[in-house]
Amino acid sequence: MGVVVKKVELSWLDRTYVWPVMKGMGITFQHFLKQLFTPTAKRYTIQYPDMKKEMPEGYRGLHELKRFEDGAIKCVACFMCQEACPARCISIEAEEFSDLNITQGFEEKRPAKFSIDMLRCIYCGMCEEACPKDAIWLRKDYEVAAYDRLSLLYGKWDLMNTYTATDGKERIAQDPTPSVPRRTIAL
Amino acid sequence: MDKLASLLHTSPAIAWMVAKLVIVFAGVFSLAAVWTWVERRGSAMIQDRIGPNRAALFGKIKIIGLAQPLADGIKFFFKEDLVPHDANKGLFWLAPFLALVPALMGFAVIPFGRSFVSGGQEYHLALLDPGNGMGLLYPLAIGGMAVYGVLVAAWSSNNKWSILGGMRSSAAMVSYEIGMSLAVVALFMRAGGYDPSEIITAQGGTLWKVLPNWNIFHQPLGFIVFFTCMFAETNRLPFDFAEGESEIVAGFNTEYGSMKFSLLALSEYCHLMTASALMATLYFGGWQVPFVQDPSVMLSVLSFLVKMLFFAWVFVWIRWTLPRFRYDQLMHLGWKAMLPMSMVNLVFHAWRMSQGH
Repeated sequence: MGVVVKKVELSWLDRTYVWPVMKGMGITFQHFLKQLFTPTAKRYTIQYPDMKKEMPEGYRGLHELKRFEDGAIKCVACFMCQEACPARCISIEAEEFSDLNITQGFEEKRPAKFSIDMLRCIYCGMCEEACPKDAIWLRKDYEVAAYDRLSLLYGKWDLMNTYTATDGKERIAQDPTPSVPRRTIAL
Repeated sequence: MDKLASLLHTSPAIAWMVAKLVIVFAGVFSLAAVWTWVERRGSAMIQDRIGPNRAALFGKIKIIGLAQPLADGIKFFFKEDLVPHDANKGLFWLAPFLALVPALMGFAVIPFGRSFVSGGQEYHLALLDPGNGMGLLYPLAIGGMAVYGVLVAAWSSNNKWSILGGMRSSAAMVSYEIGMSLAVVALFMRAGGYDPSEIITAQGGTLWKVLPNWNIFHQPLGFIVFFTCMFAETNRLPFDFAEGESEIVAGFNTEYGSMKFSLLALSEYCHLMTASALMATLYFGGWQVPFVQDPSVMLSVLSFLVKMLFFAWVFVWIRWTLPRFRYDQLMHLGWKAMLPMSMVNLVFHAWRMSQGH
């Protein structure tokens, strides 16, 4: 089946070629003026190091390990994320931090080491899905770059401090002492 | 000027000549360099982009990216100056100069301001004084030379793309030059001479009291032909098949790099400047200021500059509006449209003059 090609009949004005050229020049000049008088912030171009794109909801960027208000890590080292990770970039080492058997208010297990290899990570968000405690989530930071491979192996404190500047939180580099004094919880 | 001349132990005439040389060549050259920036920035604006605005002097002073030509120049100097193994080395070296020199030389006869008398001596604001016997035949002849730069560059680099580009440009040149020259001849008839100063003088005053007495209002058809040919002559976009980067890599300058490429690119912009100066002189009254009977020297220079830079901008503007022609289309246009049009223009004005207008 053939396609019927519509033949465009040009008017004499269009066939001179001069008038269409002038129309085209008018269009380009409109664009020129529009762009010239648009303030930099409203142009389509985001001038990257100076301006940054606001990422959409649901964007999966750099991970953060969440913490409680006293600074204690929410992660309970259950290894769910490590199991769920298709890229196998998470490695966790657990430790006990309470000598209590029955815990009330705080957990007895936490990661001693928690590292994500950002070069392996595919930012799929499976760790976030898997986490039973909502302790890890992927946020909007997309500037993950470094000069060597080792510095892209993010450790526990890197992951906890990723968004401190954005959220106006304090940087921490040490697990806080449990807020409920030990031995005072009745069995 | 007299004092300066005596300080340098030369005559005022020679000192003036040297001053003019410096002004004209340095002026055209630096304008051409700035125009590379204007082209990039203007094209960006036309396409809703921003363009080069980050090049900064000493890493601080950004001035809307005006340092970009400087940065480009420095970059080109430090690039590897490669000559292909099988290239004709002598010609390969010569070609950028063959392209640049005619582009600059064309400017020599164009008066960029009115002549003035100082200390009993008349000073002309053109490199060659009026009445030199070459007049406007000279830029036309030199413009014809410009194709050698392209052709030699193409031939000597021993590259198939280059040869295609050079062949295209020489074939194109044959087809547009005649129409262009005939359009200019009609102007010579109107002015009664081919000296640029005569042509400019003939464009003084007003036409029907509402328009400046410029040639464009007398010969619009001739202007369209000349204008179109200037695009072909400068190898710019609707007719840039010598370069044709989407078809034949980069055409004649495929093998060029470093400062040699920079010279080729600059020569295109120098050519653009000369072409716009020619258009301003021939069709827009040169240094004449509309509705001002006897403009002062500064005003006349300013008027000329404004006209010239406007046309230089039109070159940029059109480049980012129109797509490239096929090169047989230019030949079609040259032989079947522009040549008859300029013929009609010539015959019509000859007839009108014979009727005593």
